[in-house]
Amino acid sequence: METLTPGSAAELVDLLRAASADGRRLLPVGGRTHLDRGNPTVVDAEVSVGRLSRVLSYDPAELVATVEAGMTCGELDAILAEHDQEWPVDADPAATIGGVVASGASSARRLRVGPVRDWILGIELATGEGRLIRGGAHTIKNVSGYDLPRLMVGSLGTLGVLTSLDLRLRPRPLARRTVIASGTVRQAAAVVAAVPLACGVLATPDSIEVRLEGWPEDVEVESRAVARLLGGTFVLDDVAFPSRQPWLDVAVTVEAAVVPSALVELTRLVSAPWGVLAGVGILWAGIASAGRPLDELRAAVSAFGGVAPVICGPGGLGQGGPRRGSGAWAIQERIKAAFDPVGIMAPGRFWDGS
Amino acid sequence: MIAAARRDLEEILGSGAVLSDPLALRLYGRDASMLEGSCELVAIPSNREQVVACVRIARRRGLAVVPRGAGTGLAGGSTPLPGSLVIVTTRLQRILEIRPEDRLAWVEPGVLNLDLKRRLAPLGLTFAPDPASEASSTIGGNVATNAGGPHCLAYGVTANHIFAVELVLADGTVQSFGGEGPEAGGYDLRGVIIGSEGTVGVITAVCVRLTALPEAVQVLMLGFATVDDAAGVVSEVIAAGLTPAAIELMDRAIVRVVEDFAHAGYPVDAEAVVLIELDGLQGGVDRQRQAVEQIARSHGATVIQAASDPAHRARLWKGRKSAHGAITRIAPDFLQYDVVVPRTRLVEALAAVRVVARDEGLIIAHIVHAGDGNLHPLIMYDRRSPGALEHVLAAGERIVRACLEMGGSISGEHGIGLEKRDFMPLMFSAADLDLNDDVRAAFDPVRTMNPGKILSDVGRSHGPAAGHAAGAAPDEAGSWRR
Ligand SMILES: Cc1cc2nc3c(=O)[nH]c(=O)nc-3n(C[C@H](O)[C@H](O)[C@H](O)COP(=O)(O)OP(=O)(O)OC[C@H]3O[C@@H](n4cnc5c(N)ncnc54)[C@H](O)[C@@H]3O)c2cc1C
Repeated sequence: METLTPGSAAELVDLLRAASADGRRLLPVGGRTHLDRGNPTVVDAEVSVGRLSRVLSYDPAELVATVEAGMTCGELDAILAEHDQEWPVDADPAATIGGVVASGASSARRLRVGPVRDWILGIELATGEGRLIRGGAHTIKNVSGYDLPRLMVGSLGTLGVLTSLDLRLRPRPLARRTVIASGTVRQAAAVVAAVPLACGVLATPDSIEVRLEGWPEDVEVESRAVARLLGGTFVLDDVAFPSRQPWLDVAVTVEAAVVPSALVELTRLVSAPWGVLAGVGILWAGIASAGRPLDELRAAVSAFGGVAPVICGPGGLGQGGPRRGSGAWAIQERIKAAFDPVGIMAPGRFWDGS
Repeated sequence: MIAAARRDLEEILGSGAVLSDPLALRLYGRDASMLEGSCELVAIPSNREQVVACVRIARRRGLAVVPRGAGTGLAGGSTPLPGSLVIVTTRLQRILEIRPEDRLAWVEPGVLNLDLKRRLAPLGLTFAPDPASEASSTIGGNVATNAGGPHCLAYGVTANHIFAVELVLADGTVQSFGGEGPEAGGYDLRGVIIGSEGTVGVITAVCVRLTALPEAVQVLMLGFATVDDAAGVVSEVIAAGLTPAAIELMDRAIVRVVEDFAHAGYPVDAEAVVLIELDGLQGGVDRQRQAVEQIARSHGATVIQAASDPAHRARLWKGRKSAHGAITRIAPDFLQYDVVVPRTRLVEALAAVRVVARDEGLIIAHIVHAGDGNLHPLIMYDRRSPGALEHVLAAGERIVRACLEMGGSISGEHGIGLEKRDFMPLMFSAADLDLNDDVRAAFDPVRTMNPGKILSDVGRSHGPAAGHAAGAAPDEAGSWRR
């Protein structure tokens, strides 16, 4: 399939206007690392913002960076690391900033750092119709107009193409440690309650991984607290978190989102490999195929009021979002129409196949 | 028509919950801003079903709806324009459930911010947003304005603490947005609703995220001989990678009045006082305290003092949080402004405000959420003196423009409402504003929800607000209280 690679926001706008006029369907792509998120879409061409990949401004003392949407997470991370800062989203280094935001992928450390939507201050977007618009601001605080940056999170390329983003940054913690022990999902929840420094508590069928970050003296204290709670532990400094993600090595990976208290029961229903983020309510499960096991998992998750999109492999998003025909659904339809009146942006890709 | 609307409302709510006497209408004709408007009727429902009924009656009778919480808003968001029914949500005041294991609580919109915090504290939990008005503002109002506060530096604004919102839409239907889990399906419309200032519907329930209270807390009070020294310290603390929970700056004028009021031991001869709160575990708090003290010393701090105990800490915060109230002792009237600059440009921003004050012949005092670059210049005046208000408004506009030139924003937390509505084009292009308007219209195609707020209705393509039927001009903006 043809991939269009505009070299500027203005070129992108022209391209979108023309596509809207001709009804030419487009899928925005970045690093192609998160394309499995979303339902299947049939398009006439892809639009890559790979050529829009510069840092537009970065003032370390401000803890804010404005970057073009095609910059990769790896590149950004390297630039920020020089100043001991980070954009705490932890996506694949090949993923682009625009792609990560559009797919709504958050850090495994979100227990403490929060979801990706909390780390975007402003956006520039070319809508499907070809309007170049800004939302948000460059400043840490801002309440002018509707929060369009948040609306972009998880919009899966169905509203337009992000061209640049203002990112909120944070100091990179001085100490980063993973404490590993054996234990249950219930014990993992107890760690969340008792160890305030934990920014991630991952339970898997055979271990609990507790991520501790912060000032070195605090990390020491909290390592001992984890050891007291869980017994025999061993410690790894400066490793990735999670240290292993075996659920990504299976044909289909689901990322379910539920209330944290539902995790114990849900993990009884899935077979290995799986991992849960205690206190957050994320369950990653690797399953062999997108057939019955996926349907069953989704039924269980939706009984708890959650959603269970596939993030790797086939299977799409599953149920979620406003019920078709409801008032909230009508709002969603009107929002879509405001950005992309002709419906050229990734048709079918969004929740409920719209 | 209005009489008919009143009869309809009284039938549902009982006569005690429908106000139409001139005094009540005047009382509800404004919020805590300097803007005055007027309304036809005020309804005070007690539950969601009654809110639905009110919204339906307003629609049937051609009235616009102005949702209102405690009325502490500072941007005119709940100042009604002619032709409207004010729906007050303070009687929806139940805390519906608290679920510590899921770190969430469901509350009705009329619950006061501080009342929720008090219920949560024994569980070791809190609702992080802490506007200075926390004792009197409602959660519904906090959500509708995306309220901030001193501790938003570390904990984030209201938007970071909301899982789900239930809304009564303009057509009287009830819809829920978001969910109890960390992610939900569909577009994230919560973001649009939070900070929408009553323009997309009436909030009838909120699912808030709960945060664990920190183990250790330390407040440092720093005094400086110049405001610039103080602002310089703030920028350096942020740049040094320290992560205080809050950094607040007050200038001498403010410090003097609040000291009289709070007896917190502020240095009244300092030109500026900075409060820095550090929280977390004891080790990190101690380490950061040393680092802050060192930065303060190198910037010539004249006072460096740590709160001696929780009571002292509470007094220091009490002083800060009562600043607005206390200021009335020195000025009969004041306009409290809310603007933002990049936090590295605080010194410059404060200098720009000084120039404006001098040019306009006004006294402007400062309270600053300094860690976020969020300035609250308090422009003092006496409304009885002729022409004073004009100078105040001119000063406000010049401050806004100066902050925008520095790459700032026209509002950090109080919102746009009526007060800043006509400044929106200074920050956004016509295309941006049109899209904002489309987003709003997605919720309320007929524009009956708080029309004229945030965005001007003039020249919009979606048809006039219902309120206009009752005689309001299309771009009514309220009037400044004289
Ligand atoms: C002394 C003082 C200090 C303050 N300090 C701060 C501060 O530190 N940080 C800060 O952010 N703000 C501050 N404010 C401003 C104000 O308190 C906040 O904006 C607060 O969130 C408003 O809450 P409220 O219940 O009073 O809402 P109101 O003033 O009644 O309404 C505010 C807006 O919200 C809408 N609204 C209210 N309730 C609902 C509802 N149920 N459904 C839909 N829309 C609704 C209204 O239409 C209006 O647009 C301060 C105000 C004062 C007077």
